[in-house]
Amino acid sequence: MDVELEESGTGFKFPCWNPLRRRFQPGAPFFAAGTIERELLAKQVALELTEEEKQQIREGVEDWGSSEVFCPIVGCGAYLKSLEDFEDHYNARHTASCSVCSRVYPTSRLLSIHVSEAHDSFFQAKVARGYAMYECLVEGCDAKLKSYKSRHQHLVDKHKFPSSFEFFKKAKPSKRQRQKVQRKQALHKTENASTAMQVEQENIDNLVSAVSRLSTSDSPSSISFGRRHTRGLTFVPRAIQKERRPDLSPEQMKK
Amino acid sequence: MADETSTPQKRGPIKSSVGSVAVQRRREHAVMVGKERREALMRTKRLCRVGVSSENADIPVEDDMMMDEEQSVLEDQTLKAVEKLKHAIGYQGKGATQKRVGALRELRRLLSKSEYPPVEAALEAGVMPTLVQCLSFGSPDEQLLEAAWCMTNIAAGKPEETKALLPALPLLIAHMGEKSSLPVAEQCAWALGNVAGEEEELRNVLLSQGALQPLARMMLPNKGSTVRTAAWALSNLIKGPDPKAATDLIRIDGVIDAILRHLKRGDEELATEVAWVVVYLTALSNSATSMLAKSNLLQIIVDRLASSNSLQLLIPLLRSLGNLVAGDSYITNNVLVAGREITVNVIQALIKCLKSEHRVLKKESAWVLSNIAAGSVEHKKIIHSSEAVSVLMRLLSTAPFDIRKEVAYVLGNLCVAPAEGSGRPNLIVEHLVSLVHGGCLGGFIDLVRSADTEAARLGLQFMELVLRGMPNGEGPKLVEAEDGIDAMERFQFHENEDLRNMANELVDKYFGEDYGLDS
Repeated sequence: MDVELEESGTGFKFPCWNPLRRRFQPGAPFFAAGTIERELLAKQVALELTEEEKQQIREGVEDWGSSEVFCPIVGCGAYLKSLEDFEDHYNARHTASCSVCSRVYPTSRLLSIHVSEAHDSFFQAKVARGYAMYECLVEGCDAKLKSYKSRHQHLVDKHKFPSSFEFFKKAKPSKRQRQKVQRKQALHKTENASTAMQVEQENIDNLVSAVSRLSTSDSPSSISFGRRHTRGLTFVPRAIQKERRPDLSPEQMKK
Repeated sequence: MADETSTPQKRGPIKSSVGSVAVQRRREHAVMVGKERREALMRTKRLCRVGVSSENADIPVEDDMMMDEEQSVLEDQTLKAVEKLKHAIGYQGKGATQKRVGALRELRRLLSKSEYPPVEAALEAGVMPTLVQCLSFGSPDEQLLEAAWCMTNIAAGKPEETKALLPALPLLIAHMGEKSSLPVAEQCAWALGNVAGEEEELRNVLLSQGALQPLARMMLPNKGSTVRTAAWALSNLIKGPDPKAATDLIRIDGVIDAILRHLKRGDEELATEVAWVVVYLTALSNSATSMLAKSNLLQIIVDRLASSNSLQLLIPLLRSLGNLVAGDSYITNNVLVAGREITVNVIQALIKCLKSEHRVLKKESAWVLSNIAAGSVEHKKIIHSSEAVSVLMRLLSTAPFDIRKEVAYVLGNLCVAPAEGSGRPNLIVEHLVSLVHGGCLGGFIDLVRSADTEAARLGLQFMELVLRGMPNGEGPKLVEAEDGIDAMERFQFHENEDLRNMANELVDKYFGEDYGLDS
């Protein structure tokens, strides 16, 4: 049998689905609803319970479970009463999107850091002059570093980020671009990748390609930040969304 | 009945006030009542309102609960009743028994008719030592019965009140002996059931004092309310968390036989209480589970599940079935063999519960199915080809969260063969394809989006199966179409490292640079 392990460069092994029997102790939360129902049914006559009361009690039990939750996004921790509340909270607080390139960030702070680093020429100018412009991503740590790479190192060393973490992920070119690249590569077999990218550079509207210049060529791009499309567009394959003009505001792109 | 002519002076002003103070007090009282009612409900204790034996010719003079009776009135009456009882105990002359029984009866009525029995008042008046005296050996049955009844209701409420019964326990246990009259034994069992339902420490005291044996014996006869009360009390007594009582119970002569008999032929009320005993036996004790698995309990449970429509009975039957399947591989390996009628019957019974409108039945039947689906490939085929799948798919889209999670376990388990050795378990592509084409992927991705760690993990694991196992590289496109990439990207800033790694792993592996190149 093929004993294939899912290993990434970091040595992480994906825990594949493994069917196991699950057993619970009698007092486990899993059984709570049924145990309460027993008491409800046994005493409804004696206590003259109204349907309303029974419903209230049943709903009370449901609240005990995993419905209540603290938002798991790092740095947030907001208390939410139900899973619907969590969904609303997530959409309201953790989907800050960039109006330039439509990437989405979980906090407005990270969004603004992105905007400075990716779309602000003044920022790049200061970097070129040697100012420490790259902020640490962890809120509360006021460290500023001189380069993207040194900031990355700071995150790994001081804040135990995984080394594969990439704040600014190289974006995937759109389908049209990919086909263009493939055609060009077929025609100019001896030309290297940078030539193909120079062609993209001419396409100023498409900032996505400008971005691909910035990132290092062989980073494993394990973590992506910011989506290439907005939440509102469901069932639309990513490649097609790529075609949309980036100068459309996120509101227009959303349903 | 206590007279109400002599009311203390202090009550006057309260009774006559009609202003906002009274309204406020009633409102506060209502809020308190709501909370107390809920607490009364959640306790696994039961108040005894009507006598255990029909011979107890208690003319229902004031049978309605004294809902409007002010608490202070009740308390006064209680104090008086306790005093009366104390005097009656001391009295040695003619008609002493009548006096005592009469006083006990008054007290008992106060403790059983009102919605909130004046237990605290009674205890403060020093009723317990007197009641214990009433239980002395050789006392007439009527006296024993009334005294045990009072104690039952004293123990039906708050923890401190229940603990007040400690000095009486050895006597209550003793009066369950085979020479006692049936109503007396039953009333004592009821009182002890309330004590056992309070907390583990009290259960331990009862067990060390030898309560298990007589209660078990009371469960052996074929009929009578005593059997039912004993079963209920036993379910409270063995509920652990220490499995020793459960293990001891199953070993007592005649217990297994009685359990099987009652589940098969008992009326629904009796079967319900006995089923709960089985729930605790199978949840706690491995030896009990093993012994019951080898009996024909499973067949009896399945037959009853199929024929009954009483939610009260279905819940413990289903749970017992679940515990048997979860606790002992004997069931899935030796009993639920493919091709046997019992296997078909079990699946049918589970489908019936899945289709029920009751949340508990839906959730727990999905759990049982998930455990059967975790068995051999044959088991998976049986479930996959049954009606269960269409019901499960519907539930995955529409049911409340906790049910959807269990459904996810079933569907996922159907797609993966049991692991051989230390390798990765094999995919059952045929099942995966049919379920995904049936539309289950969206439901799993919803789980990934939820804030529940376990559910998110399940969702990601299923996505991995889809990405890896769907033929012709269909997986990534399907996942993308359901917004799966978005869902996974949520984890970039998630505090759970495990989930972060899993999500990133999938995005990198299946939606990396090469994604879409050959499309």
